[in-house]
Amino acid sequence: MTAAFALAPIAASAQLGSYNPSPGPQGTFAIRGGTVVTVSGADIPNGTVVISGGKITAVGANVAVPANAQVIDAKGLYVYPGMIETGSSVGLSEIGQGAVATVDISEVGSFNPNAQAFYGIDPHSAHIGVARVVGITTVVSRPTGGIMSGEAALMNLAGDTPPKMAVVPRVALVIELPRSGFGGRGFARAAALQQGAPADANRVRAAQMDSLRKMLRDADAYGKAQAAYAKDKSLPRPAHDVVLDAMLPALNGQMPVIFPADRANDIRDAVNFAQEMHLKPIIMGGQDAPAVASFLKQHDVPVIVTAVMHLPSREDDPYDVNYTIPAKLAAAGVTFAISTGDRGSEIRTLPYNAGMAAAHGLSKADALRSVTLWPAQIFGVGDRLGSIDVGKMANIVVTTGDMLEARTDTKYLFIDGRAVPLESKHTQMNALFKDRP
Amino acid sequence: MAALAAAAAAAQQPVPSKAGPTLIKNATVLTVTKGKLENTDLLLQNGKIAAIGKNLSAPAGAQVIDASGKYVMPGIIDPHSHTMIDAVNEGSLSVTSMVRIRDVLNPTDINIYRQLAGGVTTINVLHGSANTIGGQNAVVKLKYGRDVDEMLFPGAMPGIKFALGENVTQKNSQTAAQATGRPLRYPSTRMGQEEVLRDAFTRARDYKATWDDYNAKVKAGDKTSVAPERDLELEPLVEVLEGKRYVHAHSYRADEMLMLLNVAKEFGFTVKTLQHGLEGYKIASEIAQAGTGLSTFADEWSYKVEAYDAIPYNVAILMRHGVVATVNSDSDERARRLNIDAAKMIRYGGLTEDEALKTITYNGAVQLGVQDKVGSIEVGKDADVVIWNGDPLSVYSTAETTFIDGEIFFDIKRDQQMRQQAAQERAALEAQDRGRRAIVP
Amino acid sequence: MRNRRFVRTMPGTMLVLGTLAASPPLLGAQIGVQRERNAPSVYAITNARIVTMAGPAIERGTVVVRDGVITAVGASAAVPGDARVIDGAGLTVYPGLIDANSSVGLASAAAADNAARGAAGRGGRGGAPVQQGAAMSAPNSLHPVGLQPELAAIDFVHADPDAFSGPQSAGITTILATPSSGIFRGLSAVVNLGGANAQAMLVRAPVAEHIGFTPRRDGGYPNSLMGVFSVLRQTLLDAQHYAAENAAYAKNPRAMRRPEPDPSLDALQPVLSRQIPVVFDVSSQREIERALDLAREFNLRAMIAGGEEADKVAARLKAENVPVLATLNFPRRPQQSPDADPEPTRMLRARVEAPRLASKLQAAGVKFAFEDGGLTNWPEFLANAKSAVDAGLSSDQAVRALTLSAAEILGVADRLGSVEVGKVANLTVARGDLFSGRVTQVFVDGTPMDVRAPTNANGAALIANGTWQITVTLDEGEKPVTLTLQQVGDQLRGTIQGALGSNQIADGSVTAAGDVQFRTTITMNDGSEEARFAGTIEANVMRGTVRIVGHPQGTFVGTKPAGAPGSGRRGSPPPV
Repeated sequence: MTAAFALAPIAASAQLGSYNPSPGPQGTFAIRGGTVVTVSGADIPNGTVVISGGKITAVGANVAVPANAQVIDAKGLYVYPGMIETGSSVGLSEIGQGAVATVDISEVGSFNPNAQAFYGIDPHSAHIGVARVVGITTVVSRPTGGIMSGEAALMNLAGDTPPKMAVVPRVALVIELPRSGFGGRGFARAAALQQGAPADANRVRAAQMDSLRKMLRDADAYGKAQAAYAKDKSLPRPAHDVVLDAMLPALNGQMPVIFPADRANDIRDAVNFAQEMHLKPIIMGGQDAPAVASFLKQHDVPVIVTAVMHLPSREDDPYDVNYTIPAKLAAAGVTFAISTGDRGSEIRTLPYNAGMAAAHGLSKADALRSVTLWPAQIFGVGDRLGSIDVGKMANIVVTTGDMLEARTDTKYLFIDGRAVPLESKHTQMNALFKDRP
Repeated sequence: MAALAAAAAAAQQPVPSKAGPTLIKNATVLTVTKGKLENTDLLLQNGKIAAIGKNLSAPAGAQVIDASGKYVMPGIIDPHSHTMIDAVNEGSLSVTSMVRIRDVLNPTDINIYRQLAGGVTTINVLHGSANTIGGQNAVVKLKYGRDVDEMLFPGAMPGIKFALGENVTQKNSQTAAQATGRPLRYPSTRMGQEEVLRDAFTRARDYKATWDDYNAKVKAGDKTSVAPERDLELEPLVEVLEGKRYVHAHSYRADEMLMLLNVAKEFGFTVKTLQHGLEGYKIASEIAQAGTGLSTFADEWSYKVEAYDAIPYNVAILMRHGVVATVNSDSDERARRLNIDAAKMIRYGGLTEDEALKTITYNGAVQLGVQDKVGSIEVGKDADVVIWNGDPLSVYSTAETTFIDGEIFFDIKRDQQMRQQAAQERAALEAQDRGRRAIVP
Repeated sequence: MRNRRFVRTMPGTMLVLGTLAASPPLLGAQIGVQRERNAPSVYAITNARIVTMAGPAIERGTVVVRDGVITAVGASAAVPGDARVIDGAGLTVYPGLIDANSSVGLASAAAADNAARGAAGRGGRGGAPVQQGAAMSAPNSLHPVGLQPELAAIDFVHADPDAFSGPQSAGITTILATPSSGIFRGLSAVVNLGGANAQAMLVRAPVAEHIGFTPRRDGGYPNSLMGVFSVLRQTLLDAQHYAAENAAYAKNPRAMRRPEPDPSLDALQPVLSRQIPVVFDVSSQREIERALDLAREFNLRAMIAGGEEADKVAARLKAENVPVLATLNFPRRPQQSPDADPEPTRMLRARVEAPRLASKLQAAGVKFAFEDGGLTNWPEFLANAKSAVDAGLSSDQAVRALTLSAAEILGVADRLGSVEVGKVANLTVARGDLFSGRVTQVFVDGTPMDVRAPTNANGAALIANGTWQITVTLDEGEKPVTLTLQQVGDQLRGTIQGALGSNQIADGSVTAAGDVQFRTTITMNDGSEEARFAGTIEANVMRGTVRIVGHPQGTFVGTKPAGAPGSGRRGSPPPV
């Protein structure tokens, strides 16, 4: 009971409401002498990466360092592209239980295609600072719940405001297909739950599927009507509708649709539904994906694998059934990324999910790709993120060792070509208390 | 009272190892307490580590395992587990010291096997966190497939689970409870938790005094007095007062931990471990001074309000202050990869490799009172060791063979054979099931 | 006999009618009344094959019963002139079959009402008895319902011929009537399934104290399996202390305040002194071991009822001389939708192994009898015994288990269990063989009863049996899981698999009204915890709430594959 509370004024900052230190300006940096793990090509021992204006401007063993560059000595260190976590809801949910006011993850109702994660993300969520110091520079953050949960955003984990963080503010629509055990949490579900008479859940599910189909077909017709009117003003002017509007990018094939699905049947249902509706599906979850791998490959459907660290869901499953999902998908030629599937606080374990997959049959190189280049490609930003190549966004992590190893530490971090202070709520608290007598 | 204690002790007599000798050759041996030994042999015999050295010769009939390029470490100890139990909480009352995890152990839980595959050999199976004074724990060796009696760790100190904070106040579920008209259970505040502790130990003191008086009378020749009633609720608390039972206390916030340490001090006992103790780093000196250990998550945080100030530097700060700290799972899932959680402790706070390994081995043994038997690779200790295909502090490594008392309980090759056997058994059962006569009235 | 005299000397039948009218159905009551008239009660079954169990079977012989007692048995036994003669050609006469653990006829008034309205199967643990359990309370007990060892089954027995017709059709003349719910469930009684009232039916009571490991459902202590054991221990310790206190008081009443009488602790005295055994209603290996451990701790005389995995503990059962009342309610194949997760091998194995239990116990030298296990689809009783025979038990051993062994275990072998002169005239008559033919008639206390071909209406609806696709909604989000349930009577076992880990369920139960409860361990982000599910089943929809320590209450809802509710009731496996 000594002077614990001499620290009170500072400790107060540890309460809700945190602060992620701002990144510096987009300067010119030369990271010199480290092992450059480009991901897209061979590793470059004793290589140099030059960053300028937010972009990677030079990579190689014999690269000239610009005169104005701030030089970073990376001797003995490793230079990686930042990791991308694609299964999260970063910034939408701070404390899962008992602090409902910090959770902005699910909108009311079943159909919310216009609910954009971009507008709900708190740039000062403590989860952001904690995740980026392990080398995660970019996330897909998505709303959940309902049937059409909303739109996910692809965000860099740096910037004081959502617009400064955004790489693709509207990156994917999220559809949680009603399952045979209901699914969705909107009006249909509520109605089903409240029905006093014996309800046939399969019938409710069928009704939910019908309303989903109708919603998409309505949006399709709406889009065509708007387009027709744009060309031909003699037509009656169609009324605008923000909800239907929001579905158009997905219906036009500009925006993929994330379908959370783990069981083989749910995965098949999602892919078939996407085909039927001409949507571009991404499966998220994918626990049973190996069982339907050839189907996924045939339809060229990528999978965000969030189940690597999950317990086997069936009693008789082999102990390693989920550890080996990525290896099996790789062998079957299915495109995939690895994700923690965590809302935010634990996405910092992303590298170990990939590492665990590598411990169970996936090559180390593929494990690294599964958290860098492949997620970028799945979300259509493979030309901007996910590897160390000239012209790409300068999301760079400089580490003491293999980035997927738990003991490895981060020494420097750049997001969008800005140096990011390696501080987080956790480093701050550590500094406050580690030497307290 | 003595009779029951004797029965419990009898149940924990070591069962002689059924395994023949095993010689593990040419491994990198992580002893944890005596450093890293390269190209070293390890002889397991009669359930014990019989020899450590170079070029050991295999006794007759020994199984010899070439572990070149591989690592051997002590079996992982998980100080906070809810694996293999058919009930977790007796949450009906504020004090349920009378309930025993031992009574509900399920030795067939498949999660035991999954954890063996992650190199875990000993777990501390704890009552849940529903009430201030929960039930009695069980320390178990993961001898999957054996009888419960054979799995109980011989000589482990008995313990009891306490719990403080949100789970006890039931704040998260109070609204729902009220909606269903259920009465609220005391206590609903941290203030009430202190009162529950004080009340329980006050009653335990009186109970002990009653028995002491009676025993004194009997000793003096009294043959007519009826013995006082046995009270299974208070007996374990008397054991706590007498230092014969460890307290493992679920707690999150620094203030509640301090409260418990002060109550314990007042009643003259030591809290053996704070479980979770996510804010332990804020009062590391006080914890160290109380002689209390702490067992926590490597990096879980923010899942509820009292977990918002958790930091992964917790273990390092505590250890630097002299606290015996461990990393635990509290989860069937995480228990399978505690090696990775230990490695995080190198990153967060700069533990050495040996210190990191200690958080999942030796320190856990200390917290359970079995450090003379397990937790490090030393001659004479139980042959609870794990062969890894690489450095266990690497995410790329997997456990290949897990020994307990010299016997193999997981082996990666054997596992493949078992899968085939399971598939064959299933096919046979399905055939028989189909062939079974339909029962038609 | 006192009752009969009572009836005869009163102006009689009207009074009896009046009394019985209160407990429907009336038809049965009237039949019962007619039995009390002065009609001769001497019967001779001639030319029948007689399986006496007292010696070799008599291939062609006569059995004579008079006034409820067997008076002659033999190849050349004389037929008395006053006997009603039944030509037994083609028939086999067995000792009346004994169901060594049953709740038939134990329905409370409320449950009987329900049953009469056709709301549920009657008797057994399959239907109404869950409500019945709540209604069964010992008067002036100091302990809550479910913890009343003094509760006497005989006080709750109803002479209900309708309830008895099912078991009679399976050849059962006698049951060990057992309170079926709670922890200290109470004292059982051997009763014949015929007679004007409970006292007329009674053969012996109390037979055993019954214990089940079922936590309380109302939130009160104990609400977990752990607490159950603590309560059992504490109560037994209290009973020991109570005995010591009373002994001291008896010796010198002036020295102390008189001990407060406690009927519950009184009832436990013969249990502690091993005068009466304790029957533990347990099935799995570990449950059986827990029961045996407790019995050892308090030096109790144990029996196991249910005992599905008793073969795995056979050596210990043999060594500790613990008999098994083996269930004939074998697990049934759950309904399975085409895309459902496969049933765990463990459950498949349990189903395939069930018929093998008896022969394994026989081989291991463990004493055993059979019980109904809450079964209410009565044709399964003998059909499953036949499965046990097909799986290696000899026919003789099976009959013995159903008759003399049961009588021995229940302490009534001097009266029941064999066809011998002087024994109670309980007989089971089958056309052909018991296992391949059909039971045509039973004699209960010397009174013949034609058995009606059983109808399926008696079968308890297996409303929970099957594979459920469930969505659990917690604060953390929606978690799809597969729930595989096997319903045995009102008990549920099974697994939960999916997003909350894979675990067995515990303490599962379902009522005829569709209230379902179970608990299980689940794994979520911040650890493993116990979850309690409570809800209702309507048609093929199950919904309810989930309580997890430290979490806000969640909900669950889901379905099992389309199909008529309870379509699994017949026990016939669906086509594969």
